[in-house]
Amino acid sequence: MTASFTRTRAFRDVVVVIVLVFGVGSVAMLLAHVSPVDGFAALFDGAFGTRGEIAETLVQTTNLLFPALGVALAFRAGLFNIGAEGQLVIGGFAAGWLGAQFPLAGYLAVPMVLLAGVIGGGVWGAIPGVLRARFGANEVISTLMLNVIAVLLTTYLVTGPLQQGNAGASETGPLPKAAQLPDLLSDTRLTWAFVIAIVLAIVLHWVLQRTVFGYELRAAGDAPEAAKRAGIDLGRTALVAMTLSGAIAGLGGATIVAGVLHRFNTGLSPGYGFIAIAVALVGNLEPLWIIVASLGFGILASGAIGMQTEAQVPREVVSLIIGLVIVALAGRRVIATMRST
Amino acid sequence: MNATTAAIAAILGLTLVKATPLIYAALGGVLSERSGVVNIGLEGILIAGAFTSVAVSGATGNPVIGALAGIVAGMLLAAILAFAATRLAVDQIVAGTGINIAALAAAAFGLVLVWHQPGASHEVPALGHTGEIVLIVLAFVAAGALHLVLNRTPWGLRVRACGEDPSAAESAGIDALATRFWAVVIGGAICSLGGVYLSLAELDLYSDGMTAGRGFIALAAVIFGRWTPLGATGAALFFGFFAALQFSLQQAGVPSELLQALPYLAAIVALAGFAGRVRAPAADGIPYVRP
Repeated sequence: MTASFTRTRAFRDVVVVIVLVFGVGSVAMLLAHVSPVDGFAALFDGAFGTRGEIAETLVQTTNLLFPALGVALAFRAGLFNIGAEGQLVIGGFAAGWLGAQFPLAGYLAVPMVLLAGVIGGGVWGAIPGVLRARFGANEVISTLMLNVIAVLLTTYLVTGPLQQGNAGASETGPLPKAAQLPDLLSDTRLTWAFVIAIVLAIVLHWVLQRTVFGYELRAAGDAPEAAKRAGIDLGRTALVAMTLSGAIAGLGGATIVAGVLHRFNTGLSPGYGFIAIAVALVGNLEPLWIIVASLGFGILASGAIGMQTEAQVPREVVSLIIGLVIVALAGRRVIATMRST
Repeated sequence: MNATTAAIAAILGLTLVKATPLIYAALGGVLSERSGVVNIGLEGILIAGAFTSVAVSGATGNPVIGALAGIVAGMLLAAILAFAATRLAVDQIVAGTGINIAALAAAAFGLVLVWHQPGASHEVPALGHTGEIVLIVLAFVAAGALHLVLNRTPWGLRVRACGEDPSAAESAGIDALATRFWAVVIGGAICSLGGVYLSLAELDLYSDGMTAGRGFIALAAVIFGRWTPLGATGAALFFGFFAALQFSLQQAGVPSELLQALPYLAAIVALAGFAGRVRAPAADGIPYVRP
């Protein structure tokens, strides 16, 4: 299966995305008998209208940025990790369960909860990494299957052996105050998770561009044959990349638990791990551009609610646009290949 | 008939009901993948078939026209993937993921447009019990037919050649891009029948999320069935059997989540080679670009 994921200039992609957002959005709004001007006005008002709505836009940006960085890291290594959703869910569960189970000391609580998310997501990413490195199992299918297994496993655990909350509720108990991420903007759901995500993007940019590990990872993705001849252990690189990719998505799940919900719920992600694929591709798989792409999709995600309540346009229109963006951007790889030949 | 026989008959009947949509989707997946196109979009095609057949049956009052429209919708959605995978040579995994998200959202949007309510459609004229039996029998006929087509006809040989080595196929005078395109589109037609079965035969309406990941279970069945029509049908029956047993096993204390996870675990086990040698078509998932 596909090994390399060559990147093209982001400019063309941005044009495609803008045309899709406004073109498809307008057509959908006209079908719903809403003027596109009113519809998009409601969307942007829903994303920026009040201080609370701006905060919510940045919350969505954060929730997309973590899994998108994870996806990008794996894609750069030539690995199709489409399991960010499952890694995020497992990370969120580990964080929520640990935080609610053990009352940790104040300064330790938040780091331990986030670390639990990193480990949970990392393990869930390492499984397809090991299956690929040791048994040659294709990571696309195994990550896809592990997404569903993650939701089923956490549902089983929180309603069965590891039940903390009410019987039958698919969530853990609540996190104590000490284990909750502090607010960045008071009286909103925006926490320091936003800052952590931005710093992580900058660190990841540095790791990819300036370290030996980053070089090996990119070499394994861009030219696996050459990388192998240069002595890079492809199996080991794949395992490390998948583990890190899962750990980043798991950290994202932990920040949703510790910052937004203050407990783990099996429905904590409305598909962040899948939308993250679009975010990563629009961001050209470059961590710094992915920050910008996350903001764009964050605006769409938080504005969708305003668009539905104020202009009566069903918010699924935004999901439809995101799906089409993914289909449109799937073409970038081979367009790059054809250009290079 | 005594109680035990009746219980066994009920389980077997329920197995057929649960397996039928999986068989259609898995057969569509087998045809697509044997031509070299990985079809992650099976779930989206099921949704297209399920939603469109209900919408058209409601509009025309004729469930047969509805079913045919469902097949056309599945073919159109598959054609988008097929066009992207052949002429544009895009990444099939990414495109298929996008197709699933777009189809689910389009159907949810369509519910609001057509019936002015989110969540579920109104009840529409359905295919009924006779239609359900016809579709169940047809699933097995389709499995046998696809087995023969793939293994005993020139077109089947061409499809398999494109899945193993498209450039060699082209050297032998086969149009690899066209062969792949039609394999995916016909696969989409077969898969969409699974969606039609769910909404218009088992039920008489479309509701959000009614396909419930069956496209992914079908993908697991394709792998567990080693990319063959009969193997995939067997895997679909196996998964359907456990779905049918779910209620009884739950009574016996087996967690339902474990039973639901079974197809996905089985696929991973098969992929990792723990259940004997499993090999995908050599060129599966690799876009073919003419030199």
